[in-house]
Amino acid sequence: MTTYQFFTTAWTWNSIVLILSAVASVGYFLAFGQRGKPLYFAAAVVVFLLALISPFNALANGYLFSAHMVQHILLVLIVPALLVLSLPRSFSLHSPFAYFTHPLIGWIAGVGAMWLWHAPALCNAAATSRSVSAIQTSSLLLMGSVFWWQVLAPREEQRLSPPAGIAYLFTACVACSVLGIILTFAPVSICPVYQQPVDRLGMLSTIRGDWGLTSDRDQQIGGLLMWVPMCAIYATAILAQLARWHSSPQPEQSNA
Amino acid sequence: MNGTTTIAEFREAVLDPAKRRHYQLAWLSTVDHKRIAVLYMLTALVFFIIGGVEALFMRLQLAVPNNHFLQPDTFNQLFTMHGTTMIFLVVMPVVFGLANYVLPLQIGARDMAFPRLNAFGFWCVPLGGILLHFSVLAGGAPAVGWFSYAPLSETPYSSSPGVDYWAVALFVLGIGSISFAINTIATVISLRGPGMTMRRLPLFTWINFVNAFIIIFALPVLNANLAMILIDRQLQGHFFLPIGGGSPVLWQHIFWAFGHPEVYIMALPAFAIVSEIIPVFSRKPIFGYEFVAASSVAIAVLSLGVWGHHMFTVGMGRPLDVFFAISSMLIAIPTGVKVLNWTATMLGGRIRFDVPMLCCIAFLIQFLVAGLTGISHASVALDWQTKNSYFLVAHFHFVAVGAIVFAVLGGLQYWFPKMSGRMLSERLGKWSFWLMVIGFNMTFIIQHFLGLLGMPRRVFTYPDLPNFTWMNMLSTTGVFFMSAAALVLVWNLATSFFRGKVAGGNPWDAWTLEWATTSPPPHENFVALPPIRGRRPLWDLANPDRPDPIVGENSAAVTLPDHNKVGILSFILSETGFFAALILAYLYFYARPQAGPGPKELNVPRTLVFSVCLFASSFTFWRSEVALTKQRRGSMLGWLALTILLGGIFLVGQGTEYWKLFQTGVDLSTNLFSTTFFTLTGFHGLHVLLGLIALLIFLWAAWEGDFASGRGSAFKAAGYYWHFVDVVWVFVLLTVYILPLLR
Repeated sequence: MTTYQFFTTAWTWNSIVLILSAVASVGYFLAFGQRGKPLYFAAAVVVFLLALISPFNALANGYLFSAHMVQHILLVLIVPALLVLSLPRSFSLHSPFAYFTHPLIGWIAGVGAMWLWHAPALCNAAATSRSVSAIQTSSLLLMGSVFWWQVLAPREEQRLSPPAGIAYLFTACVACSVLGIILTFAPVSICPVYQQPVDRLGMLSTIRGDWGLTSDRDQQIGGLLMWVPMCAIYATAILAQLARWHSSPQPEQSNA
Repeated sequence: MNGTTTIAEFREAVLDPAKRRHYQLAWLSTVDHKRIAVLYMLTALVFFIIGGVEALFMRLQLAVPNNHFLQPDTFNQLFTMHGTTMIFLVVMPVVFGLANYVLPLQIGARDMAFPRLNAFGFWCVPLGGILLHFSVLAGGAPAVGWFSYAPLSETPYSSSPGVDYWAVALFVLGIGSISFAINTIATVISLRGPGMTMRRLPLFTWINFVNAFIIIFALPVLNANLAMILIDRQLQGHFFLPIGGGSPVLWQHIFWAFGHPEVYIMALPAFAIVSEIIPVFSRKPIFGYEFVAASSVAIAVLSLGVWGHHMFTVGMGRPLDVFFAISSMLIAIPTGVKVLNWTATMLGGRIRFDVPMLCCIAFLIQFLVAGLTGISHASVALDWQTKNSYFLVAHFHFVAVGAIVFAVLGGLQYWFPKMSGRMLSERLGKWSFWLMVIGFNMTFIIQHFLGLLGMPRRVFTYPDLPNFTWMNMLSTTGVFFMSAAALVLVWNLATSFFRGKVAGGNPWDAWTLEWATTSPPPHENFVALPPIRGRRPLWDLANPDRPDPIVGENSAAVTLPDHNKVGILSFILSETGFFAALILAYLYFYARPQAGPGPKELNVPRTLVFSVCLFASSFTFWRSEVALTKQRRGSMLGWLALTILLGGIFLVGQGTEYWKLFQTGVDLSTNLFSTTFFTLTGFHGLHVLLGLIALLIFLWAAWEGDFASGRGSAFKAAGYYWHFVDVVWVFVLLTVYILPLLR
């Protein structure tokens, strides 16, 4: 299969994903109507669909560790952030869920989502089994939302103070960078499934030949994706915290 | 008033032998941040002269082709010592000195948070400097470059003790720098005067505060690397020697994981100085305070993850090259933002061209050139061509001298009136400045072209190729102008100190708090602080009819965090970096199969039992803390003694493990596994031991009746450290003992 053929045909029209997205969209409008921020929600749905339907998904399912990493980042950082941002200001969590709004839980959820799913056994299972993959996707969305709640919650009083938010994001960035560094420099495969892919689509020769992605390089790119662009996302969030800090309300100017 | 009498007394004392002795002692034993700052700067000046003379010798050797003025090995020693001296013994001490002087004054504090730690940090500098230079007497200075690449720096290739002295000296200097950074963080967080909220901090203070975080993350990584090379050299370890399976590239990775942030550790204070001087001499507030403040944070975060661009020529593979190229180019954005802010501040201002401002303008222009050649090195293909040439030498001297030294000279001359109470001679200052500008540009602009023509760096001589001779001669000529500039500067400092015009409290009409007190400030810094409602309290004071807008909320009755807590948490952060480097090095080698003993030699069940003791000691310490709060002295002493006992039992367990390994003939030099195992667990054990000593001191103090009031923030701080040591053990246990079981 050539690259062109691949990108035109390898879309995974996964009916569950499509139905879920549709149901979620309807549910969102029923629940929040005009009060929500539909643009953020629409963006979340689009990114979610891109991650799970586009050819990236085909690559992530057993071909390329790096494609899996792109999917992972989109599902744990981008989609949950957009989802939390789409909530209306009036939104509050009720008692059983309020338990998850402790910063420590949020931090562990965000960092744990990275580390846990890159344990070799789980990583392998998620790349080969559809049911494990479904569990992975939903857990990433959930843990990502719990992580972002601390800095993007709808109301100011639900969020960490900006300096605490910076520390929260920076330490998360470091913790994920460490995993990225390990993945980049590990001489052994973290996710052995990707070393000898089952060539379901007849793409392997294109990937290894035309794209030049050997399995070593593939894992290195995966590690680097977790290390550099992910940290760039955290760094952007840190800058947003600084902006929030410096724009917090000014008192009335007293003409003394 | 108080200050001026002190200076008069000082002048008198220099002339009177009996009083001179008193003052010598007073300065040697001082814990006053102002005196320590001056000591920092004077030490830096001494090493600046040494490092400068080293540079002069190198340029004399290179003035003409095929020169034999210096031996090749001497030349190698000179460039190693020049680089190490200028970075660790000149730039870092001088920027620390300036921050040490100005930062507490700018936030209305009486001193740094930990005055004795401050003195300790300073005395590490002369100690490190002496250790480094003692190598000359002990068989030859290091001749391996300031980055000391393995395997050249390993015993088979550098058998003289030069590298050992180099490593120990840098280790000591690293400890000094980290203690300064901890002190800075604790001072800014815990010692701000009333009204001085974090959002109102002057940019000089804010940027130095951000810089302190880079220091506590980067320097421990260097120290881990130094510990490893010392273990290789002294105890026959295998970290970086390929012959035993070690990895020279790992040295480079860890070194540059420190080395790149180090560039910003030196550059951010320069940015801090410039952000302070340009507004004052443009008679305008800084343009976009928030952008300058935030871009400093962006630089700090990015700086920790771009070190790979120092290693494009190593052959890391294309994926690493591409990612590091992109992330390195990203740094251009926040630095570019800063340049725009400074330029926009000058735009439309009534600029006064006094010497500090001239230095800043030269900084701006030269930093722009340095930044542009810097971005060129982020391009991998171009980097391959120019990395090992004089183009790179020119680039980093534009950063280190053209930007950093010029900013520091500006800062020194800006704050000299505050420190001495006297104005510098403007005429001598201009002479010095212009000589420096001419000399610097004459020396280094041409080196760009020399490099592009193909002259490699670190060569002691060169053949008479077309253009090489006149270009090198021109470069050497420039050094004489720079030397003249330095001489005029020192003359200016010395004469103005005794005969300069009296400065008064605020000679530059500046707006930050250090100018609200006398010059020099009294021992306690301030008699009373003006009200602080914004970023320019003295402007508000002088212009009550048109004050600055109020920044942020007035937090009158906010209690600031306890400085002991902030200090120990910063220290723990720095230790995290140290252990992270050691654990990653362990994993790096663990993943590569080795012959000989491995994790299977370890006794996991026994270690688990002893680990439980260590973890239990965290619980007992917590009980002791609770007893302290409830003022139950006996209970507190009991729990504390139990904590110490449990910690001791853990150490016995570790000792048993070591003893069994020694018995089977496994020691540190056996193979890579044993090297990494003993290094990682050994450093952890050392930390437990230090913690035990600290706890014993607390036990003794409590026994003697301290902490009777139930307040014990120092006790709590020791607790944080103790818990941290336990947490580190969780990670060491997982990595060393549990991970092999999962395989």
